[in-house]
Amino acid sequence: MASILDQDFPDEEEDDFNPAPEVGSDDEADEKPAANDDDDEDEPPARSERSRSRPQRDADDDAKDELGTEGLIGFGRDEDAEGEGRNLDDEDDEEDEEDEEDEQDDDLEGQPSRKRRKQHRRNQFIDVEAEVDEEDEEEPEEDDDLPGEEMHPDDLQELPPGADRDDRKHRELDRQREAQFQMDVEEEAARLKERYGRQSRATGTGSAIVPQRLLLPTTEDPRIFRMKCRPGKEKEVIISIQGRVNERLGSREPVRIYSAFERAKPGSPMSGMIYVEASRVEDVIAACEGITHVFMGTKPLMVPLEEMPDLLKVTKEKQLEPGMYVRIRRGLYSGDLAAVHEVEANGTEVILRIVPRLDYGLNEDVNGPMEAANGQKRKRPLVQRPPARLFSETEAKKRHGKYLSKQGGLSGSNWTYQNKEYIDGFLLEPFRLNALQTEDVNPTLEEVTKFATSSTDDGAENLDLAALAATLKTSTANEFLPGDKVEVFRGEQKGVTGHSVQVYGDVVKVKVDPGNGALSGGHIEAPIRDLRKLFREGDHVKVIGGSKYTDEVGMVVRTKDDRVTLLTDSNQSEITVFSKDLREATDSGGAAADSKFDLFDLVQLDAATVGCVIKVDRESLRILDQNSSVRTMLPSNISNKIEKRRNAVATDRDGNEMKSDDTIKEYSGEQKSGRVLHLHRNFVFAQTRERAENAGVWVSRHANVQVVAAKGGKAASGGVDLTKMNPALKQNGASPSPMPPPQAKGRDRLIGKSVKIRTGPNKGMIGLVKDASPDEAKVELHAKNKTLTMKKDMLTLIDPNTGNAIPDGIRSLAMGRPPPAGAGRTPAYAAGGGGRTPAYAMPSGGRTPAYAAGGGGRTPAWKQDAGARTPAYGGGTTYGGGGLGGQTAYGGATSYSGATSYGGGSVWGGGGGGGGPGGQSTWNPNMGGRTPAPSGSKTPAYGGMEAPTPGFNSAPTPGSYQDQPTPGGFRDQPTPGGFRGGNYQTPGSYQTPGGFPETPGPYSAETPGGDDGPRYD
Amino acid sequence: MFFVKVLEHRIHLHPSFFGAQASAYILDQLYRDREGSNTGTMMIVAIIDVDDISEPKIVPGSGYAEYDVSFRAIVWRPFRGEVVDGMVSSVVNNGFFVDVGGLSVFVSKAMIPQQLKYTVEGATPSFTDGVDQTVERGSQVRLRIKGIRGEMGQMFAIGSIREDYLGPLLQ
Repeated sequence: MASILDQDFPDEEEDDFNPAPEVGSDDEADEKPAANDDDDEDEPPARSERSRSRPQRDADDDAKDELGTEGLIGFGRDEDAEGEGRNLDDEDDEEDEEDEEDEQDDDLEGQPSRKRRKQHRRNQFIDVEAEVDEEDEEEPEEDDDLPGEEMHPDDLQELPPGADRDDRKHRELDRQREAQFQMDVEEEAARLKERYGRQSRATGTGSAIVPQRLLLPTTEDPRIFRMKCRPGKEKEVIISIQGRVNERLGSREPVRIYSAFERAKPGSPMSGMIYVEASRVEDVIAACEGITHVFMGTKPLMVPLEEMPDLLKVTKEKQLEPGMYVRIRRGLYSGDLAAVHEVEANGTEVILRIVPRLDYGLNEDVNGPMEAANGQKRKRPLVQRPPARLFSETEAKKRHGKYLSKQGGLSGSNWTYQNKEYIDGFLLEPFRLNALQTEDVNPTLEEVTKFATSSTDDGAENLDLAALAATLKTSTANEFLPGDKVEVFRGEQKGVTGHSVQVYGDVVKVKVDPGNGALSGGHIEAPIRDLRKLFREGDHVKVIGGSKYTDEVGMVVRTKDDRVTLLTDSNQSEITVFSKDLREATDSGGAAADSKFDLFDLVQLDAATVGCVIKVDRESLRILDQNSSVRTMLPSNISNKIEKRRNAVATDRDGNEMKSDDTIKEYSGEQKSGRVLHLHRNFVFAQTRERAENAGVWVSRHANVQVVAAKGGKAASGGVDLTKMNPALKQNGASPSPMPPPQAKGRDRLIGKSVKIRTGPNKGMIGLVKDASPDEAKVELHAKNKTLTMKKDMLTLIDPNTGNAIPDGIRSLAMGRPPPAGAGRTPAYAAGGGGRTPAYAMPSGGRTPAYAAGGGGRTPAWKQDAGARTPAYGGGTTYGGGGLGGQTAYGGATSYSGATSYGGGSVWGGGGGGGGPGGQSTWNPNMGGRTPAPSGSKTPAYGGMEAPTPGFNSAPTPGSYQDQPTPGGFRDQPTPGGFRGGNYQTPGSYQTPGGFPETPGPYSAETPGGDDGPRYD
Repeated sequence: MFFVKVLEHRIHLHPSFFGAQASAYILDQLYRDREGSNTGTMMIVAIIDVDDISEPKIVPGSGYAEYDVSFRAIVWRPFRGEVVDGMVSSVVNNGFFVDVGGLSVFVSKAMIPQQLKYTVEGATPSFTDGVDQTVERGSQVRLRIKGIRGEMGQMFAIGSIREDYLGPLLQ
């Protein structure tokens, strides 16, 4: 407060110059002639007295300041407040005047009114002494705030000779003032406020209850005039005007304006305009006349009354602070990011920290003509702007040693090069504010890291997070998601915690957590800028952006304000980030999942060197190589990744077996222990969580470690291995894993075959397989000149000649068997096909048997199935018939046989009720004719087929194998004719109770079949 | 905290074990698979008994038999905020690791009282206040679990000794 008082002191003069606007909110008495004041300046002795009223007015002003006149920019601010205050004071005064015009100086509040002062002035020459005396008594406390107030030299001259004695008094006064000045200023302020605060409230301005609209300007208020000026120079103009005001303060022609301000922002419609608050146009012109960059050609434009408040509306302006990031608009560095190093006091200039773009004279034309004037080489226009790199004195010394000089400084990295200052490699250069872009800077991570790398190398907190946050503050809209835990960190509801429920625009609806008093459980709405995400120790969080730690996951170990320290999962290091950059993590992914190298991967660095990845960064990897040295490499510099060989075995120092995941211990040295990660040649890479450095990875030679505990210990100690206990598997001993799928060895047989694509966008296309892996194949399309890599199961093998698909062809190729089409090769079938073995190429000849084989091949499969089961089901007798049915079916009618075997004879018979017998009878001869042939010639062939058919689930079914000989049974079946006869009868009797009239029919029909049976034999 | 909990486990049995011994194999397998294992949220300390072994089902395509076994087990599940005792397994400069049963707890420097300073005497790093409190490898420590992260098969937690009555236990 005291400082304000000091500053405002000169304003007092202005008081007098400015004819009191005399406008209260209620205009009670404004009869006061403006001219009165004009006399004042000629009456210096009155001033000391007038000064007495200062404190009070200041108190008023302060109160008003608080009330919210803070929209004003530049110097106008104080003045304006002052102005308003003044008005009210005057009003006050006038009331006083009316009431007690001629009374003593000491009115109730101890405040002499201006009117009275004026009266004093009239007879001051007579009454000076008395006046001072009076003040002596009263003032010790009041006047203290005006230390060092002295008479203006002019005033002194004007003093009458009789003023001699004043000197003593004045000195006395000075002493008192000095003593007062020793008092704590704050105490002072408080006291003043207490003393005068009430008074100001009495005027109706100091309290917050005054409705805003009453504060709106009225016609009696000074008006605001707009002046044009050169765009971009607004601030300068204002500052010049302020200079002028100060300069003419004590002169005969003071600047009679209340305030001057500008609302310009680069590119805004308000640029190129300044605003001056004054009562008369002439004052405005007087204030601006002759100030550079003001266009006096355009007349001052009076701002309409109703627009005045809008003009002064406060828009929150972003204040540049050291450490914030800006972008440079023009010049060599246009578009570059720069950090604010320092903000000049006047706010128009900032000193920026820039990553310099220097070419150190490399592009200089050495033979270029010298410029006569300064002996410098003429500058060529910049061909290409040099890359942004930190300043390097060695580079500069090469050619420009003469321009380079070292600055004294503790750090030793301060240089001056070509008259510019470089600190820690950064260029420090002053820039005008309007050459900078302060909004929407959006620094990228790379840019920021350039600035970050400089300070420290530990990487712990070298990003100026606060500064970065200030720069990024705008982009907070999507910072909050519903469900986030949030805390209100400022405003009325400070300290309230809750969960965000809804986010719209800049407002977050928060469901308040229990434990927040009356708010608990309710919903409040809070602006985003008052919120921050809340994390508690132990929360598992993920860094989602805003720093170089993006995607790191870790647990919170400490939170302080909005800075959260977390312990990363990946390498147990502590990092500090902003809570806004964090989100509760659900997964435990590590950093930089996009890198093709993972933590602990073994990579080949060069022909002789391998290394283990110990840190995966966004762009780089840290690698511990086999010689225990750590290097940082770009992923592109790594030739390849060595796949982990899980079954690699090495011997340790003692000759014991050492495998992956075994726990080993160093024999000498630090006796580090760890789990084997990789065994490579002569080296073992091991990792332990207990060491922080190199992510716990260390490397040693085989001969230098001992196995402490084999992880295989499980196998050794952990009881029986069931898979090994299986006696059946033990016998052959060869394959411990149960029945591995057959695998093709050698060249994939699919290569060179024609295939058709079954699904996908290329469905239906035909091509040749050029290459194949176990589950993929490269297909060269016939139609397009294109080679596709397809999954094998999306392909169908086709016959290259006909284009017909060969069902299941690929799988059987993979099984190492020829595709079914090849089954035609079986001599028997070939014979079946007419003995035209060489005629395979012939589609029909080739296919017919193939299909026949296909059918034939399958038929017995099912048949076999049924057959195999037949005995197992035990109904030997009953099934005899079925078996026979099966047998007949071999003739070719598979489905029929199915029906027969299921003993659905009756149904069948029923079905055939009408013409059944007839059909049956025609059938039987058929059977009779063929049956011998199959049983004779084919059966062995079937036997041959059975063996390779793996599709049968029956294969492993215990017991079914033993029963396999059933085929023999097949052959036996025909033999006991009597048997069958009996069998048939039995079902017959079964059916009879059914009371079907037809029943006998079928049976009679069948019986001949039975009769036929014996005939075979 | 320890609980008795009914759990289920699915066991696949190779066909070669089909037979009278099958249920014995199943039990054997169950104990081996589950006892001492970590589900990511809890640790199965011991299996008390087996409630039920389901009828086996043959898994189509493989021939394995699938059994669902339900059993009762003593499990240990750490909770956030729980105070536990453990033994320091290693000390590093930014904290120390404590083994609490099968759970490894990291106590960060931020969660160690100020007066315990990291010092290295000889080869044994420790956090000590130089008077009577020393945390070094092998010390017993009482701590409060602050956060738990569970993955399949392992758990990891961070803890704090920055509270009254927490810290190294006097032996």
